[in-house]
Amino acid sequence: MLRRGLLLTALFLAPLGAQGQDRPVRWQRTADATEVPITVFHSPQSANLPTAETMLQGEWQFEISHRFLPPFSAGSDALWGLDGPVYNRLGMAFAFHDRGMLTLQRTNLADNLDLNVKVRVFEGEQGSTPVMVALVGGAAWNGDAPILLDGSTRAWQYYGQLTANVMLGERFALGVVPSFLWNPRLDAAEAQNTLSVGILGQFYLSQHVSVLGEWNISEERIGQEYDTGTFGIELETGGHFFKIVTSNSVRLNPTQFLAGTPFSFNTDEWRLGFNVTRLLQF
Amino acid sequence: MALTSYMVMKLDLSSLENWISTGFLALGLFACSPAGAAGQEYHVDRDADNDVRFTSRAPIEEVVGVTDRIDGYVLLDGPRLEEGSAIERTQLYLEVDLASLDTGLGLRNRHMRDNYLEVEEFPYAFYDAAIERIEPVGGDSFRVTARGVLTIHGVERERDLSCDVSERGEGYRAECTFTLLLSDFDIEIPNLMFLKLANEVLLELDFVVRPAPDL
Repeated sequence: MLRRGLLLTALFLAPLGAQGQDRPVRWQRTADATEVPITVFHSPQSANLPTAETMLQGEWQFEISHRFLPPFSAGSDALWGLDGPVYNRLGMAFAFHDRGMLTLQRTNLADNLDLNVKVRVFEGEQGSTPVMVALVGGAAWNGDAPILLDGSTRAWQYYGQLTANVMLGERFALGVVPSFLWNPRLDAAEAQNTLSVGILGQFYLSQHVSVLGEWNISEERIGQEYDTGTFGIELETGGHFFKIVTSNSVRLNPTQFLAGTPFSFNTDEWRLGFNVTRLLQF
Repeated sequence: MALTSYMVMKLDLSSLENWISTGFLALGLFACSPAGAAGQEYHVDRDADNDVRFTSRAPIEEVVGVTDRIDGYVLLDGPRLEEGSAIERTQLYLEVDLASLDTGLGLRNRHMRDNYLEVEEFPYAFYDAAIERIEPVGGDSFRVTARGVLTIHGVERERDLSCDVSERGEGYRAECTFTLLLSDFDIEIPNLMFLKLANEVLLELDFVVRPAPDL
């Protein structure tokens, strides 16, 4: 019986000696690790089309973009287009919410001043496939709207877009962007409605380098005969996106780009461009 | 204690052997029960204004990441910190939820989470240590030095940690500062233009512990 007592005592006292080394039973983790947000496209915009990505609430994003008017085919005399002239866009976006951002952007083509709002309405995983959806609505005012036959101008344009994005595998993001645009041709006698469908894809070669492509299918009309195709490379850093693109369109703002381009996608009509964005904190 | 009483009563108390057995058994149970433990366990107060931050001072820009998601506990050898506190059976365990670190830019957060810390695979940074030294520095404040293992990105490194500890209510507030090299933890250092992160990173922990709730 004495042996039994000593044995029991040893059994009960054994943990005491290790108390300082073992984790106490009373502490335990009370919350799960923070969930990592879903990412499909890294940037809020592709070359021209919107992605469903937004920014963190309170962030600002400055943008400067160029489209060089002379095509590559102009050769060395025009430095393959880099001599210009250019269409230029300056923009500033603000994230009023993690899911929503407001963008004001102005391009020198027709003095088009564009204000749009994007709201991310869904993100989740279908199986293991990340999916993200956003809605965009905007209005543009054209300071250089042409004077119509009746002496009036129709300077306002309105548009709405849905952008649905999926990440296929680890590296390939794919999106579709149906768009509605009111008044695609400022010089037409009557305002028109038009629909277009954009497809965008981006393959992430590494954490910082990717290649991207877009194709926007639009209705054919005078001065907007062709669909727009764009491809290029994107470099992303902690606060920047640098995109160098080639396109058969030189139109930058949504109401100009969505309606189509007068240039075919023939290599003779390819033109250089770039988009640079910088995230800012104030 | 109810279980202890029940087990004691079940034993036959008529023989000396059984008295000895019972005595040792009761002693053993008492020693292992929370009420009998001499040390006090403190838990990180997650409702307090805790602050964990890293600072990377690269040539062009200073990057600061912040979170309040720190958790863990401290096990003292006595009820309170005091001069001459025993340190034999002390323990310090801290963990930081890395996915919650915010550098102020969402894009930079994503790079940090996905590319460098790889938080899907390594969601926490851990520090598991024992207290090595407790030095009073005046008033109700102490300089506490711990020695243990810091684990980040799945890599373990021995690391000393010194904290200024002061009383706060029933618990303590601890402010700890130390530096580490990202390369020591197999964390890729961004080397692209505009990716500004230095190899040496300053870590600052400011957190509150309070007595562990009774069971």
